[in-house]
Amino acid sequence: MKNYPIWKSFTVISLVLLGIIFSIPSLVYDENSENWFLKNKINLGLDLQGGSYLLLEVQLDVLYDEELENFSDSIRLLARDNQTKINQINTQNNEVIVTFNNNNKIDEIKNSFFQMYRGISLQVSNNQLTIKLDDLYKKTIQDSAIKQSLEIVRKRIDESGTKEPLIQRSGKKRILLQLPGVKDPERIKELLGKTAKLTFHLVDDENIDALNANIEPFGKMIVSDIYDDKIKYLLDKRSLVGGENLVDAKGSFDQTEGHAVSFRFDTEGAQKFGKATSNNIGKRLAVLLDGVVITAPRINSAITGGSGIITGNFNAQEASDLAVLLRAGALPAPLEIVEERSVGAGLGADSIAAGKIAAFIGMMLVCIFMILIYGSFGAIANVSLIANIFIIISLLGTIGATLTLPGIAGIVLTIGMAVDANVLIFERIKEESLKNTKVFQIVKNGFDRAMSTILDANITTLIAAVLLFAFGSGPIRGFSITLSLGVIASMFTALMLTNFLLYLYLSITKKKELVL
Amino acid sequence: MFGLNKIIPVEPNINFLRLRRNFLIISSIAIIASIVLLFFKGLNLGIDFKGGTLIEVSTKNTSIGELRDILSVSFNDVSLQEFGNENIILIRLQNKNNQESIETINNVKDIIQDKVVEFRRSEFVGPTISSELLYRGFQAVSFALIAILIYIWLRFEWQFGFGAVVALTHDVIFTLGLLSILNVEFSLATIAAILTIAGYSINDTVVIFDRVRENLRKYKKLELVDLFNLSVNNTLSRTVMTSLTTLLALFSLFIFGGEVIRPFALTMIIGVIIGTYSSVFIAVPTLLIFKFRPQDDDD
Repeated sequence: MKNYPIWKSFTVISLVLLGIIFSIPSLVYDENSENWFLKNKINLGLDLQGGSYLLLEVQLDVLYDEELENFSDSIRLLARDNQTKINQINTQNNEVIVTFNNNNKIDEIKNSFFQMYRGISLQVSNNQLTIKLDDLYKKTIQDSAIKQSLEIVRKRIDESGTKEPLIQRSGKKRILLQLPGVKDPERIKELLGKTAKLTFHLVDDENIDALNANIEPFGKMIVSDIYDDKIKYLLDKRSLVGGENLVDAKGSFDQTEGHAVSFRFDTEGAQKFGKATSNNIGKRLAVLLDGVVITAPRINSAITGGSGIITGNFNAQEASDLAVLLRAGALPAPLEIVEERSVGAGLGADSIAAGKIAAFIGMMLVCIFMILIYGSFGAIANVSLIANIFIIISLLGTIGATLTLPGIAGIVLTIGMAVDANVLIFERIKEESLKNTKVFQIVKNGFDRAMSTILDANITTLIAAVLLFAFGSGPIRGFSITLSLGVIASMFTALMLTNFLLYLYLSITKKKELVL
Repeated sequence: MFGLNKIIPVEPNINFLRLRRNFLIISSIAIIASIVLLFFKGLNLGIDFKGGTLIEVSTKNTSIGELRDILSVSFNDVSLQEFGNENIILIRLQNKNNQESIETINNVKDIIQDKVVEFRRSEFVGPTISSELLYRGFQAVSFALIAILIYIWLRFEWQFGFGAVVALTHDVIFTLGLLSILNVEFSLATIAAILTIAGYSINDTVVIFDRVRENLRKYKKLELVDLFNLSVNNTLSRTVMTSLTTLLALFSLFIFGGEVIRPFALTMIIGVIIGTYSSVFIAVPTLLIFKFRPQDDDD
């Protein structure tokens, strides 16, 4: 083939061949293949393979409120240590205002408080101390809460046996979860819906009057039973030991009590637990999960081995789920599901099948139309179009992009739009053929003159696609990816492949005249 | 080997601009009507932007009425709809707070468990998320329009940019108006369609403008109206061809692509038709407002 540099032919042919070769893994699509080559396949989005997408929001307000409560408790203790009386404590709008009876010790209290809560903003005026939960302090709470939540969510999901979950922070206070292939999102939601804060408190069975009057004396709290909220317990507010000291928890079976959870403390926890139980033999010990009493057995003897079991009216699943939660640890704050999208495998498979049919029929229609309109030139454009599809698929596979349902729509749309560059070229060639007689010159001019238009036209589509990627989420990003790749691939196939094929066609047929 | 493209003459000579006033009037009416519609009727916002709960189930031997009766005992805001065929039913519930909505999905599933072959999907979008998605969609469309304007402004003279943006805005508003009349569900995918239409419409306009610019250099003596007419005619077969191939692919998507993607395909079909129309009948005539010839003092 004269008029056409060999290096150019070589480049075009090898790029197209690469496109075909690298689309094989996606076209074969062996899900479990470990083969290094076949692994380069397209990832299917959750909407195509089935699975659950969950967006969780960490309830930071709960944490802020908790922290404000901690402030008041600490101030009360400090006041007692400094023998100062508190007139009143007001908690409102992220601040705690403490009014003392006098200001004799207010500076000492302020300094000790600052030692406990570094970085907190404190203000003294007369005998009033204002503790402010400012944005900076909130941010530290927020960051550590999200970090901790992420870790615990990850542990819980791993324990639930979900394969290849994606768990990541999203924005300021959200956690995004993608769980491919999850058939029962309800159980996952159940697992994530619990804070799972486990604490052990002594039961105060002496102060029956306070319990009946529903008044909490200082340092005590009234808590209800998990199975019957009419049953109340008066407990020490301070917990003897908590879930943070657990090293293991398992679902187990107890001869008399049925399904139970057995647990083991670390050394520190074992010591605390041993000391607390030996000092309080005969009293009851309440086990609290997320602020309600699961069980409150009497301490018959000191438990020094650091292990024990929690019984309740569990069934096997509940006991093992509770064990999962305890092993993973407590969430710093409750999580709320703010968005859920779960797709069953059936719908996903239907979508893929429908997408394939739509793409195939769309392709056939466009190809037939092109041949009807442009004859052999149309056939050349069709070869480019098919190469275009292979290149899109191979790119999707090698960059590890995710194909979604809108992504399939993007490919079908590309099929319709990709011939545009070819059409622009053919129309220019048609015009050139009216004023020129040398066929190769006509083709060359046609390409040269169509070039800037092709670039202008495609760049505007790319701009829209890129912005869609920047602002879109999930499945929509899949659309912008296939559309962008389609636009880029179509410029390559039109300007390089169609060009090559036209020269080849003209060399072989030895045409002296171009009638388009 | 000779194609049918002979049907369209190589140099068609259709006076597109002769009726430009009529088309401008038609389009103006369409735009005003669209704005009025959007204002009073609004768009049929889907779960993405309105929030709420949606469950798609496939059933067997159960009619939609039967399911409705069962569900309306427990939920007073439930609405059911056949989706594609009579065995596939969409159940929608209005928004509540997050916790309640998640429980609602569970409750619905429990209640109709034995009537259902498969739970095909369940979606829940909370109130904060839906308003965020709407805001981000709005942002995406605005930024896209601005970015495209900047690009056109860099590549062409500003008059062209003006014409392109008039046409583009026309397309977006007109398409939204038609979506409102046809009650097409407006979702994240529809936003994607609108943005793609913006890209497509501009693409069409740019091709014609490219030719206008070229002809402005080539034919210095020609009347502007004739020159614009010539440019539209030069590019006519390309405009028609590309719209047709795109529409072929889109119709295939609309018919065979499945129920979920149908609103997207429909929006795109509407947009491509409007975009093609506006490139010829709106974008080009807009250039006539500017009574001078850009690039006149060149070479």
